[in-house]
Amino acid sequence: MSTQIPKNLKYTKEHEWILIEGDTATVGITDFAQSALGDIVFCETPEVGTELAQGKTFGVVESIKSVSDLYSPVSGTVIEKNSDVEGSPEKINSNAYESWLIKVKVKNPGEISQLMTAEAYDQFCQTSA
Amino acid sequence: MTLRTSLYQKHVDLKAKIVDFAGWDMPVQYTSVKDETLAVRKKVGVFDVSHMGEFFAEGPDAIKFIDSLVTNDIASAAMGKAIYSPLCRENGTVVDDLIVYKLAEQKLLICVNASNIQKDFEWMNAHAGKYDVRFTNKSEHYSLLALQGPESEGILKKFIPNLPSLEYYSVWESGQTIIARTGYTGEDGFEIFGSHEYIGKLWDQLIAAGVTPCGLASRDVLRLEVCYPLYGHELNDEITPLDAALAWTVKLNKTSFIGKTALTDYKPKYKLVKLLVEKAIPREGYHVVDENDGVIGVVTSGTMSVVLNQGVAFARISSDKFSKGQNYFIDIRQKKYPATLVTKPFVQGGHK
Repeated sequence: MSTQIPKNLKYTKEHEWILIEGDTATVGITDFAQSALGDIVFCETPEVGTELAQGKTFGVVESIKSVSDLYSPVSGTVIEKNSDVEGSPEKINSNAYESWLIKVKVKNPGEISQLMTAEAYDQFCQTSA
Repeated sequence: MTLRTSLYQKHVDLKAKIVDFAGWDMPVQYTSVKDETLAVRKKVGVFDVSHMGEFFAEGPDAIKFIDSLVTNDIASAAMGKAIYSPLCRENGTVVDDLIVYKLAEQKLLICVNASNIQKDFEWMNAHAGKYDVRFTNKSEHYSLLALQGPESEGILKKFIPNLPSLEYYSVWESGQTIIARTGYTGEDGFEIFGSHEYIGKLWDQLIAAGVTPCGLASRDVLRLEVCYPLYGHELNDEITPLDAALAWTVKLNKTSFIGKTALTDYKPKYKLVKLLVEKAIPREGYHVVDENDGVIGVVTSGTMSVVLNQGVAFARISSDKFSKGQNYFIDIRQKKYPATLVTKPFVQGGHK
């Protein structure tokens, strides 16, 4: 499967991408994930103010036939959610990297170093594909 | 060991996503579940369902034999008809649900679920002894296509010019090829049983003619939208047809059939209901709860309906917890979503 993996982002094994800007992490799911899921028809993310813990589930994306949990890549507080994508989840299929889901104020910057680089994620996708 | 249908390589070449289904490597989708579902509702799609089982009952007692095994009325049905029926044990529980095709006075084809081929054959064959019948499992010799959608007839006639005009749920036999106007999508369509070679060639012709190849995921959405039960979900070894909204298939006025005594006195433990959920997607295993958060049942199949763009589900409700006019909720990730009980199928198929 050929997928896009932008160099400027960080990644998790659960196929989320993370854009780090200062202490804000913008989170979405990768092109690999949207392609594996197929037609995305539902997306649920937490309300602004919700406290997230790294590695814990914070929402779901659902295709017609399957449910996938979203795992928080870092600990922190939700400061914004993308209602636009929640209302039209098929946008994730059209462009996974423009369809961010939540923005998190990072609590522990040390956690960022645990995220994968684009190279590492590319490798990970190839071995798990 | 996983099994593969004779069309397996064609699915791989079409870049289908392959999954294990009842021990078979089957195409779950080719391009998009949504597009495949809509192709069948609006135009025409084709499914490889060669994993399903084909049994033949032949001989003077063929009809009598099958009629004694299944709950629906095979004997009274006209020659050339196809009949859907549960197959039950003495205690009324369901071994499988199947379709019986009345090919001739002394020849019936029985099409069963892939996951139950061995169980069904052993069960049915164990009762064949007292009849003058030859009962055989020819599953390995047949491939099976389901061509479904409003444009099915026009397309099929291009490749089978001598295809007679068939009524809905009727069947035509020509050599080893058996064509029935049946399917499990609610749309008009045909199921074509034939040799691996014949079916391989027909598949190629249909694909070349622009028919959309459709996988098992769209098949499941299609059958659920029109509220057809699926074994392993709405039906299983523990429940009777009367627990699964299939009373219409249990003909208690028949002289005898296996399970008749048990089903005659049976008080259903469950009621199978259809639930619509507006703002979430119900999934198999989710609990159905009442206003006081009491669990009253469980979702047996659930999906997003492609046609309605809403969540749809079959749910099995405990009879003692069912009351008319009550409110239903589905517990989805610890949140209660209101569900609307409907009596008609979610989607009206366009079958003849």
